[in-house]
Amino acid sequence: MSMNRKNLDSEDTKWELQEFVSGWYEIPAAMTDRRRINGPPGGSSPVIFASSLGIGGRSVKRPSRIRPPDELRKIFLKTGLTPLASGSAYLELSPSANTGETCDSLAPSSSALKLTCAVHGPRPLPRSAPFTPQIQLSTHIKFASFAARQRRGYIRDASERDLAVHLETALRGVIIGNRWPKSSVEVVITVLEGEEDRWWGDETGGGTTGGSAGGWGMMNVLAGCITVASAAIADAGIDCLDLVSGGVAAIVKTPQSQHEAPDRDTDMGEIGKNGRLQLVIDPAPSEHQEIYAACVVGYLSTRDEITELWLKGNIPGTTSFSTPMQMAEVGGLLDKAVEAAVAVRLVLGEAVREAAELKAGQNRNNKE
Amino acid sequence: MCHRRVVESNQNPDFPNQYLPQREQRQHRGDERANSSPAATMPPPLTHPLFSPPELSYTHTSLLLQPPIRPDARTPTQFRPIIAETNILPGTNGSARICFPDGNEAVVGVKAEVERSAGVIGSLLRKGGRGEGGGGDDNEEEGRKGVGENAWVELTIEIPGLRDDDALPVFLAAMLNEALLASGDLVDRLWINQRWHWKLYIDILLLSPPLSYPIPLLSLTTHLALLSARLPRLISEADEDPLFDNDWEASIHLYPRHNKSSEPTPSKPTATKPKPREQPPVTLLVTVVGENIFFDPSLEEIAVADLLLAVSISETIDDSEPPPEPKPTTTKPPRNIRLLSLRTIDPPARLTPPGVPDALNTAVTQAETPKNKAATTDADVDYSGVWVPPKGGSKRKLIGRIIQMVIEHGGVGEEVLEGLEGVDVG
Repeated sequence: MSMNRKNLDSEDTKWELQEFVSGWYEIPAAMTDRRRINGPPGGSSPVIFASSLGIGGRSVKRPSRIRPPDELRKIFLKTGLTPLASGSAYLELSPSANTGETCDSLAPSSSALKLTCAVHGPRPLPRSAPFTPQIQLSTHIKFASFAARQRRGYIRDASERDLAVHLETALRGVIIGNRWPKSSVEVVITVLEGEEDRWWGDETGGGTTGGSAGGWGMMNVLAGCITVASAAIADAGIDCLDLVSGGVAAIVKTPQSQHEAPDRDTDMGEIGKNGRLQLVIDPAPSEHQEIYAACVVGYLSTRDEITELWLKGNIPGTTSFSTPMQMAEVGGLLDKAVEAAVAVRLVLGEAVREAAELKAGQNRNNKE
Repeated sequence: MCHRRVVESNQNPDFPNQYLPQREQRQHRGDERANSSPAATMPPPLTHPLFSPPELSYTHTSLLLQPPIRPDARTPTQFRPIIAETNILPGTNGSARICFPDGNEAVVGVKAEVERSAGVIGSLLRKGGRGEGGGGDDNEEEGRKGVGENAWVELTIEIPGLRDDDALPVFLAAMLNEALLASGDLVDRLWINQRWHWKLYIDILLLSPPLSYPIPLLSLTTHLALLSARLPRLISEADEDPLFDNDWEASIHLYPRHNKSSEPTPSKPTATKPKPREQPPVTLLVTVVGENIFFDPSLEEIAVADLLLAVSISETIDDSEPPPEPKPTTTKPPRNIRLLSLRTIDPPARLTPPGVPDALNTAVTQAETPKNKAATTDADVDYSGVWVPPKGGSKRKLIGRIIQMVIEHGGVGEEVLEGLEGVDVG
């Protein structure tokens, strides 16, 4: 078995491997990594700081969102940073601006998203592979071991594979695959810094996480992955119907105090004694005490079409069982996510145009 | 009729073994497999449907009609009949089995184990900080909200012929898991005390190789298994090490039932208003062809779909509301159905080989004049009746229509839940 495990992630060998491995039915459920020196398996628990529990008069405050509900974080996107790949891109979201209060803790209050994407291909399939009329797209998303507060292993886990499936769905709809029969393209994304699922102060107990197969942070990561992969594919010069961009929106709880003027567009009604439901785009999970539902779309803005949709959540309230109410909630969430994707598309278009101009300029210089 | 078609496709002379597990294929072929024949490395038919372009075009055209004609003559919202039974595995806390008439069959077992909670200090201090006592029931109920961790539920899917790191089992598991955890009600119920909790293992086994996307099958089976699951009754108090009643008759349901008379109440006698009970989720698979929406698609329909969408819903039963007076008209009261999650699935139609129209086919146009050869741009070619794999995405309006069809009163969601109620869950 260990022989098979060696190259599990390399797509080139996957065909042969599949053939070889499929004879085994007794594949262990949890594949353990025996080839590297790993830390103790779950033997240690993270340090809990007294300040995070509010003991002794010192407390660390949850960062709060100071952006308007319909404003994205700043995006840095640049293509062509990995010279050896046929196309590549790097995306970074700036960490949310601090509220200006001095912070007692040295730990950063919120995370930023940093993604790097490399596209290899299109290249011919190995001769042993069967004929494919369309380009064979494979996507890999891997969190770097240092990408989150909890260390990630070297072998992709279920949530990373699930993200890769989402990304594949988003990209397969835009790539014009029949122009490259018998060839393959690989999209490899490394998450250098991932979005957190919740504020670190909440980790000692409770707090909103979303779901074990990817919490709320995963939805932001996926939207970033769609955008960065789209830029890298454009950089590789693979024909697409449109540039697909990712957008996220969420329904969150906002404290009543912060919410002086209810905005007709984003306000979703009152919840409990001291909070309101609000629709926000590009939510940073650490900034919100409670996220009820979130939605990611992969959106083609020139065709007004969705290639990828991932919505999950549960909106509290007794009236939300009625069909029109739910339709309004889901519809609102979907529309806001699309709005976010349209805004991201501006940055994406600009980055791709910049790179194209640079290339055109270089070609001109070479000719002269 | 559906059954007949499946049998036919099984006897396809080109791929005699296409639906057998791969191990058997290997034995059948023996030595000739050594030089890699294409069939040996053929991926499962699920992701690369083995239909020719004319077959695809035929199915696609009949599904585009108004009203559409499905290959097995069902109506767009009609489900295939199923055979279901529960409590079939004596060694589990709850189990179920469902068979589809096309031979798909799944078994689900739910097992629960007591496990020590991590992060004890945090939860202790958190509770201390919350306020004094919590005298009333109501307060305690509030206090138990949000104590569960999502890691307390572990769901695994085994599909014969697929590796456990293949895309299909991974995203099927993720999809079922996220619907299960969406409300947080289930994990909160697994909390025993501050130091202990139940760990729930849900093991799904698909007995047959996947003929079509097995989402509805797996999700319905899981739904029934969870409904039939029971946990032993706790007899220790507060933060003691947990001790349970060894009388299985006294056990309580994981998903509380309506307490009629003899049923022991899950947590405490309901002097106050009973809480609304949330039922386990159900995930439905929906396909779209053109403007037509189809539920519970078969393999042929999935192979030509423009959009595949998995929709998870759950029902909340509110016992506190008195049942409405039976009206003279026989309309049923609306059910409290809530949408939990939505996700698109990559439709396999995008991977199918395109058909070649006569104008571009050199075997047909060979003898003709150069004048006809000019018709090589896409605009000049007549693509009617020729299979073209779908490109691009789908419109928002269509997705809205699907959601409406699922959750509305008298919609598909109510129909499915009503059908499931007919199964005796013990």
